[in-house]
Amino acid sequence: MMSEAGQPVRRAPTKSDAVGTAFLAAIGAVALVMGLGYGMFGDGGQVGPGFLPSVAGAFIVVASAAELLRMYVAADRIRAAAAQERPAGDERDTFGRTANERTFAVTQVFGIVFAALLLVPVAGLLLSLAAMVLVITVWVERKPVLPAVLCTAGSLGLAYAVFVQFLGVPVPTGTLGLL
Amino acid sequence: MFDNLQLGLETAISPENLLWCFVGVMLGTVIGMLPGLGSATGVAILLPVTLGMEPVTALIMLAGIYYGSQYGASTSSILISTPGDSSSVVLTLDGYQMARKGRAGAALAVAALSSFLAAVISLIGLMALARPIADLALEFGPPENLAVILLGLATIVSFAGENMLRSLIMAAVGLLISMVGVASGFTTARFTFGNVNLLSGLDFVAVMIGIFAIGEVLQQIHRGGDPPIRARFRDLMLTKDEFRRSIAPAFRGTGLGFGLGVLPGAGATLATFMSYGLEKQVSKNRKEIGKGAVEGVAAPEASNNAAANASFIPTLSLGIPGSGTTAVLLGAFVIFGLQPGPQLFDQQPDLVWGLLVSFFFGNLLLLILNLPLAPVFAQVLRVPYSYLYPIILFMALIGAFAIGNNTFALWVVFGAGVFGYFMKRFDFPAAPLVLGLVLGPLLERSLVQTSSMGRGNLLILFERPISATLTVAAILAILAPVLLRAVRRRRRSALTSEREEIRQ
Repeated sequence: MMSEAGQPVRRAPTKSDAVGTAFLAAIGAVALVMGLGYGMFGDGGQVGPGFLPSVAGAFIVVASAAELLRMYVAADRIRAAAAQERPAGDERDTFGRTANERTFAVTQVFGIVFAALLLVPVAGLLLSLAAMVLVITVWVERKPVLPAVLCTAGSLGLAYAVFVQFLGVPVPTGTLGLL
Repeated sequence: MFDNLQLGLETAISPENLLWCFVGVMLGTVIGMLPGLGSATGVAILLPVTLGMEPVTALIMLAGIYYGSQYGASTSSILISTPGDSSSVVLTLDGYQMARKGRAGAALAVAALSSFLAAVISLIGLMALARPIADLALEFGPPENLAVILLGLATIVSFAGENMLRSLIMAAVGLLISMVGVASGFTTARFTFGNVNLLSGLDFVAVMIGIFAIGEVLQQIHRGGDPPIRARFRDLMLTKDEFRRSIAPAFRGTGLGFGLGVLPGAGATLATFMSYGLEKQVSKNRKEIGKGAVEGVAAPEASNNAAANASFIPTLSLGIPGSGTTAVLLGAFVIFGLQPGPQLFDQQPDLVWGLLVSFFFGNLLLLILNLPLAPVFAQVLRVPYSYLYPIILFMALIGAFAIGNNTFALWVVFGAGVFGYFMKRFDFPAAPLVLGLVLGPLLERSLVQTSSMGRGNLLILFERPISATLTVAAILAILAPVLLRAVRRRRRSALTSEREEIRQ
């Protein structure tokens, strides 16, 4: 759901939302401290290398604190609005998954992309990414093997034609040295 | 001026130049659609291909790649919310929303028409104003550049409405990310934590691909995904109402883009965001912007194209590149033994005017190609998302690698993707982060130079008329919405208490 400004409308302040905002505040605080370490000002009071990091960090700390405050001050109003929007937890989506299964699918995709990147030095970039496409379509999306293989082969062929043949990108082939 | 126009027409309309212009816009469109490969990379990759050509033909083809890739980048932003270039990021807002509503063909057509209108108007502007504007651009020193950047950041934060605090946080996070690596104008390495890969900073395009492509894919999976669009072919065509509604925003976007495109640096990106912000303030349908309004596509796309054309003004007349792509083109000029600068207009009129007039033909070719092709491109949305998103992940990752042929970029994309997913989940807006990221180095450079000019006193910003006006406008852009909301709230509560008194 989007706001008028094209930005998503805020939902109820869940614990994870508050933790996320607090985490950003912590990043801001770290940037502020490190920025001070780099030196806010140089010779003659001129802007130093730590000036902008410190200012940006301070901005994040102040704005995050204000946002946390706003989150809890406006909590009742937001929670009431969100209660009307939230779909039922066991409702199935267009992928045929429930809310819990969707959360698990996100974790699976994160894991598969991570594993594919770890595989790059061994199998090479193209083969690792092709394996990623195949595993996602077959394992996460539970698609039939033949269309999944065709989808993988098509992606691999397109990437090879455009990036390797046409643009001459030197893709790493890994220790296997296949593609 | 008309002699120059005639000379330019004679050069641009030769069959050889027209053919290479066509090849350029075609290749540019394909390159622009690939995540990560923006116009600068496209021009750089294909520069060696043009070395055997006549200089004017080569430059016409390279310019064709430039605006062709801009159109291609807009296409991928609209269809799959994966911007190919920073200047097409803003199209992921309304363009993508239009696509999800089954109006992808219309959004692509509006983009093509707005680009064409902007190209024609900015071409006339280029011919009439190239020299005076170049002289004015010389008046812009570090304080003026700093003020423009502050205005850009303030505009993007201000149009976030209720989400202003989150926008501020994201703009500041964008600035912080841009500061990773050796400081601009200093020798200090910041936020590198001993990692040599971080010394040259985080690649902006890789971060952008992660946040938009990977983040959007994961959010779609989390949200449950949208069903494939089953719209009929004729439903994808532009309606009369959409066409009518896009005219005024396209004109406004062109004006803004042309003005900002002259400034060196991130003129086109800034122009797209500012024109989007402007539509939020002045458009008759401003309440629909953000939900898939044609105004949110027409204005930024027109400003993008106008800014791209205007960026040739400092490039050709001063020898100062107006954007990353014109910097690569400047290199091409040097390779062909040409020296951009005030004398180029006198010494090589056929080349300069031939190149400028070729922009018109290039954009006309893009329009002819893309209007009928828009509904065809839109068919990509009919592919079930279960098959589409693994392909998007594949192309996004290989595109990120291709930026610098560096596997570290893949990890940057992954990290940015995780961050982008959490941003989307907790409704932190992406646009301010992108602008902070793009403008960070420029902001710091201008800040350091301004501080140096003022001997540590940043109030120098208020001592020069242009920078003072722009800085005050930036402050107003932040404060005005907050004050207006407070006034409205007070009025509403006053009205309520009046009613209660009357009732009693």
